[in-house]
Amino acid sequence: MFTTQTLWNFFYVLIFPGALFTAVVGLFLAGIDRKVIAHMQHRIGPPIRQPMYDFFKLMGKETIVPARANKIVFLGAPVVGFISLAVIMLFIPIMGFTAFSGNADLIVILYLITIGGVALIVGGSSSGSPYAGIGISREMVTMMSYELPFVLVLLAVARKVGGDSLVFSMEAIAEWQAVNGSLAFHWSMIPAALAMLLVIPAEVGMQPFDVAEAETEICEGPLIEYSGAALGMFKLNTAMKMAIMTGLFTSLFFGGFRTGMMWSDVALFVIICMVVTLVCITTIHAVTARLKIEHLFKFFWTFVSGLALASLILAWMGL
Amino acid sequence: MMQHYPVLAVMLLFLAAFLVEIFGSKIAAIRNLITFAASTTALVLIYALIPAVMLRGEIISYWMGNWAPVSGYAIGIGYEIDALSLFFALLVVTTFWLSGIYSFGYMKKDHHLGHYYTLYLMLSGSVLGLVMTGDIFNMFVMVEIMTFASVALTAFRNESEGALEAGFKYLVIGSVGSSFTLAGIALLYGECHTLNMAQLSAILSGGLTKNSMMAMGLIIAGFGVKSYIVPFHTPAADAYAVAPTSVSMIFSGMVNKAGVYGMIRMVYIVFRAMDQSSVQMLLAVFGAVTMFVGVTMALTQHEFKRLLAFHSISQIGYVITAISLGSALGLTGGLFHALNHTLFKGLLFLAAGAVLYATGTTNLDKLGGLSKRMPHTTICFLVGAAAISGLPPFNGFASKWIVYQAVYTNAVESGNFLYVIITVTALIVSVMTLASFVKVTQAVFFGQLREEHKEVKEVPAIMLVPMYIMAALCICGGVFYNVVNTYLLAPASAAALNVTNYIDKMMGEGYADAAGVVNILAKPVEFSFWNPIMWLVLFGVVMAAAVLVIVFGENSRGKVLVPTENADPKYATFFSGEEEMFSQVGGSDLFWGFKKNWQGYYKVMQGLHSGIVTDYTTMTVVATAIIVLCCFVFMR
Repeated sequence: MFTTQTLWNFFYVLIFPGALFTAVVGLFLAGIDRKVIAHMQHRIGPPIRQPMYDFFKLMGKETIVPARANKIVFLGAPVVGFISLAVIMLFIPIMGFTAFSGNADLIVILYLITIGGVALIVGGSSSGSPYAGIGISREMVTMMSYELPFVLVLLAVARKVGGDSLVFSMEAIAEWQAVNGSLAFHWSMIPAALAMLLVIPAEVGMQPFDVAEAETEICEGPLIEYSGAALGMFKLNTAMKMAIMTGLFTSLFFGGFRTGMMWSDVALFVIICMVVTLVCITTIHAVTARLKIEHLFKFFWTFVSGLALASLILAWMGL
Repeated sequence: MMQHYPVLAVMLLFLAAFLVEIFGSKIAAIRNLITFAASTTALVLIYALIPAVMLRGEIISYWMGNWAPVSGYAIGIGYEIDALSLFFALLVVTTFWLSGIYSFGYMKKDHHLGHYYTLYLMLSGSVLGLVMTGDIFNMFVMVEIMTFASVALTAFRNESEGALEAGFKYLVIGSVGSSFTLAGIALLYGECHTLNMAQLSAILSGGLTKNSMMAMGLIIAGFGVKSYIVPFHTPAADAYAVAPTSVSMIFSGMVNKAGVYGMIRMVYIVFRAMDQSSVQMLLAVFGAVTMFVGVTMALTQHEFKRLLAFHSISQIGYVITAISLGSALGLTGGLFHALNHTLFKGLLFLAAGAVLYATGTTNLDKLGGLSKRMPHTTICFLVGAAAISGLPPFNGFASKWIVYQAVYTNAVESGNFLYVIITVTALIVSVMTLASFVKVTQAVFFGQLREEHKEVKEVPAIMLVPMYIMAALCICGGVFYNVVNTYLLAPASAAALNVTNYIDKMMGEGYADAAGVVNILAKPVEFSFWNPIMWLVLFGVVMAAAVLVIVFGENSRGKVLVPTENADPKYATFFSGEEEMFSQVGGSDLFWGFKKNWQGYYKVMQGLHSGIVTDYTTMTVVATAIIVLCCFVFMR
């Protein structure tokens, strides 16, 4: 029952590439993002470790449960979100290495990421604040917006890699890329990659897609009543989402690189994640203003979905 | 001995129905005792068949009055229970047993309960008979009993608004559907001179004539009406909304499953048409449209039970899509989803009923903040909502996952882009399902408690017990999917594809061979789920994370502060410095950004759901015509 494999699984989930690794990479990416955007705006910006300081500081603060809130759900939601996000990295191949591999883990990833969003929604909802009510409504619409292009991108990749057989496995996608070259260098997949680059900031909740948290109008929406450790957990969840989404992009479209050594593979992976963060989160954040929710929905269901669909059709035609 | 169990269970329920009316119309204790005894005995009798049918793969056949076939012609009514029948029979008995228990508490305030339990037992008996009979005309009789019992139960609370109207709609559309079924059966009888399904299958195996294609189209439409696929769904929304909640649960848990069962039995066993891509596509398109229209309509509802009704429609779309694929994987996914739908939708209806019982309303715009007053209901509801939205680790995720795999496998193997569109639809519908349950959660259970609901109490234990049982089953189904697959799904889907066995058992060994029947060749089921070891690990993380929160919550600096009696302003909700006031955001206020973009679509939908029975009947007839036409034009 209690075998070496079980111990390894614990290691995978808790340390690498699960909770700890995702959290550290996520907070690092968040720090890079803040630093670079500060430079873009002619500020000096906080040190790269700042998100980590923030997290630990919040963990030591008082957590106030508002009178209107449902205590169990209010405090449980961030933990549930953390748990689901902590295991996603196990399914994402880090270049040559995958902790868990299944036949259809693309869909598992899709749903586990959704739980991260649902945790935020349910937590915000349980706080009983009207600002949170507006926030969760927008968060849910955002989720519906990016889900369509996201699904189309995943199906396009699955078709491209699988051909006439069903491939929903991340590991198979990574191996295919190791043989045939990364998907980003296949021209028919470029629209899908672009679509995915636009999905990432929406998923993470960064400008111009941060309508749900819009701190200048609805005061962080779902997070409005959160404080202390619970808020810290949510901030950590956002950072982890950043690591997961950029990591997913890396392994879907740049999964073909192999250095042959574990540590250099991981380093390469983190570097590509960083570049992706700078391109799709930092740069877009710096040059755009927040969209309205109905425009956001329209943008994703027409433009971004169109890009992804183009790739899907090209892949379907065997290109 | 065992071959008597099925027919005994059905007879017992019908007998009890009359006994309740005779002895129990005045005294509650006798009434409840008869109902409980009959439904529990039926439950036990059906569960006792599991070892033989599910594990040993036997098929139980029973000729009423021992009228066995004479020289290869079935002359009597036969019951035939293979794994497929038993699978649905298990759904049926579980549903009505739980619903019965819930009724004892929930219906207490109503009048004329003798009639209620009579109808309830009639409905239970008819659906149970429907899924176990081997005779197509007997099936029709059961469909009729089911329809009329349903109509009467829909209109049971006839003092409440809309009950009679809903009953009338159900009556008209339901009868139209039954007539189609009857017409189809008549055509078949004219051609084959038999009503036994096993024998029909053997006779039709030579290839379908134009006559039997017409019959098939009519029967598919007839059972489509019973399972409420779009555009036959129109009476369902009203019926589920106004019927007593225990009955709504029966409707979604077993009445529309009876339609699904009829569809599977007909297209897989009797007509054996599922190897034809035209039939597959016809049903797949109907399934996809059903799930999409169901969920988009649900998103805009502001009545709790009506919203759930549209979700029932939408989830049946998943089931129909999955079974339309004609593959073992599709059947597995479809049956699994049917099972799960029975569980989580039953749970959600019971939660809605609890809200209605406690507050007297199910209007989403008039509720809010109930989680503090009804914590048990809230937890059960959240489990059901997560399960129907397909979040791991609940059962809805397991079945939806298999459905996606089955549909996309079909897409890549047939090279048909239509199935890609259906896969995308299924995935998007799942998100929209989530969205509409977020809406319910926010509008009913979270947010601010209304003044008039300050005194609301949690519902009595007898109503909570069925909810907790179903919530537990929802979780077990997701975690122990392997057990469910081995003992229920694999035998049932194998039975649907093993036609020769079904014929031989009923008509005698070698009958199928003589008629030249060959089984549809289906690929063995290959699906994957994540490693169960994951779960051990996940629980480890849960523990670690919980400990983390508790440790940080309990130390002296970072305490979790919970409001006390004397209200401290720091626990108040933030209002930008304004005075705190009533401010519930919920119900119709949510998802404006979505509805704005879809207003054109909703205008069309509003036009189609006019509420006028003539329109609905027209829709039903037109859709039937389309189905029959497809059967004629595209089938080989």
